[in-house]
Amino acid sequence: MGPVIPLSLCAYIQFALILAVLSAFQPTIAKAEIQVVDDMRTTLTLAVPAQRIISLAPHLTELLFSAGAGDKVVGVVSYSDYPAAATRIPIIGSYERFDLEQILALKPDLIVGWKSGNPQAALAQIKQLGIPIYLTEPRNFADIASNLERIGTLAGTSTVSNAAAATFRQEIAQLQIRYQDSPKVTVFYQVWKEPLMTFNGDHLFNQILQVCGGRNLFVDLPRLASPIDLEAVLKADPEVLIVGESNRDWLSDWRRWSSLKAVKKARLHALNQDVLVRPTLRIIEGVRQVCAVLQPQ
Amino acid sequence: MSLPLSIPLRVKMFGLLLLALGLISFLISLGVGSFSISWQTLGSLLIQQDPSIERSVVMELRLPRALSAMVVGGQLALAGCLMQALLRNPLADPYVLGVSGGASVAALLAIMFGLGGFWVSGSALLGALLNMLVVFGLVQRSGRWSSGRLLLTGIVIASGWGAMVSFLIAISDGAGLKGMLFWLMGDFSHSGYPGWNSAWLGLGLLLSMAAARPLNILVRGELQARALGVNPQPLQISLYLLTSLLTASAVTQAGSIGFLGLVVPHLVRIVIGSDHRWLLPCSVIAGAVLLLLADTLARTLIAPQQLPVGVITALLGVPLFLILLNRDNRGSL
Repeated sequence: MGPVIPLSLCAYIQFALILAVLSAFQPTIAKAEIQVVDDMRTTLTLAVPAQRIISLAPHLTELLFSAGAGDKVVGVVSYSDYPAAATRIPIIGSYERFDLEQILALKPDLIVGWKSGNPQAALAQIKQLGIPIYLTEPRNFADIASNLERIGTLAGTSTVSNAAAATFRQEIAQLQIRYQDSPKVTVFYQVWKEPLMTFNGDHLFNQILQVCGGRNLFVDLPRLASPIDLEAVLKADPEVLIVGESNRDWLSDWRRWSSLKAVKKARLHALNQDVLVRPTLRIIEGVRQVCAVLQPQ
Repeated sequence: MSLPLSIPLRVKMFGLLLLALGLISFLISLGVGSFSISWQTLGSLLIQQDPSIERSVVMELRLPRALSAMVVGGQLALAGCLMQALLRNPLADPYVLGVSGGASVAALLAIMFGLGGFWVSGSALLGALLNMLVVFGLVQRSGRWSSGRLLLTGIVIASGWGAMVSFLIAISDGAGLKGMLFWLMGDFSHSGYPGWNSAWLGLGLLLSMAAARPLNILVRGELQARALGVNPQPLQISLYLLTSLLTASAVTQAGSIGFLGLVVPHLVRIVIGSDHRWLLPCSVIAGAVLLLLADTLARTLIAPQQLPVGVITALLGVPLFLILLNRDNRGSL
């Protein structure tokens, strides 16, 4: 028989360990201040890491989970469908229209908002109510990574978020190197059918195209998603045509234009739009899908 | 139908002017767009059969769109004319009795459930017909058919539809919302050949022309009409059904394009007077030309972006109407 350590000793050791851990954290808690600059260049100061967070956009919910702060999210907007755990969080409305009273009732200590998606008036009201609000406007891969880190800092989970951001940057860099010498391919992405709509050059989708050697034919449109003339698309004659997975049937409308390059070479594709248009870590998956379609060899 | 032997000079001139304008706008609408097609090639494209993309663009995009715009313009102008006579109210337009409201609610519901194309227009037609029956049923049940009661019933139901449209918009988001707003403003970008809708326009014009003389009497009031031997009620009921069906067909093709049905009849009245024998056909042509022109501008002005055609209709129509109104006081207003 080996030596038997008395139970009381076990308890003592545990107690000592806990004390040691607590005292190690003591100084950081005393220092208190968490400072983060958001995408609107506003400095946000929290006394302690946020414990009750509300997300005002589906992609922000995803980022919160990726940053390791998923269990601190107490309210989300509709379509927050990833990861699966997010679907069990109370919904406070849609990203365009949410219930301020319900937000107050959830007693959040941090709200993560989407500058160009949430209504300005509602964001201003939240500010007036004195709830700390972190505004995001991710437009490229670097923005996604840095938002992830900053959200982690605010939630006190920066170990997780910094690691996730580092992996993300590395994967993007690898994809960039892999496809850097690919031939250029012109692409049309169909956002909607009636009216026919596509993305302009400011949309995140262009960042994916850039990695994969794709070129958006309509970068000059005024809004992120603008209505466009069908004739203009026929005239531009894209080599590849992409629609969202849930709108696969739109592709058959294009097949009647048999002289289009994309139709002749059967390069009409339906891809999962969530990973193409949401500024989250899953965009890696989007880049892989688009690159596979644009550079098939 | 009593075709009069002598057409007044003013009507002849106006009719010829409209036809010339119509022909020019038609050629322009086929010739302009993102694909530049010269006039010579346009001619050969229309005749020959070889499948080039230019030919497909003209035959499958521009031509159906142009024809559709003309038919809808004609239908709305005719419906507006008849509605103003039926309700004896210069502010009446084809939508005042809720036809477009019913169609809009049904179409938006279809868009909301992710349906497109045929389902949207099919639901719009059902909604329009439902509205027609509801209004008709309510007025008929009251036992006393009068234009006043019809107007009130229709307006109240139209407001109800309006509230439901706002409700549907309020609970929608994303791209579906964009589709809804486009539908509400009116849009030809997905219309095919007008098909039976054009037959319906022709039939509507013939039927209403046959009633042109009684219409001239009806607009003087129900009492006067009775005194002159015209029984207003059957005429009113058939007018109501005719305008509703015309409007339903127009809304089904292109959504609710505003303004045209209200202003074109007045515009024509200012020029040629309010004799329905001339007013009805001239309004149809004027409506067709105006909407065709507006749609051509809407798709080319800031191409490759698209403007809602309703915006251009108003931008063209408002100054035109004001100029005519102030230059000539012979009109009925």
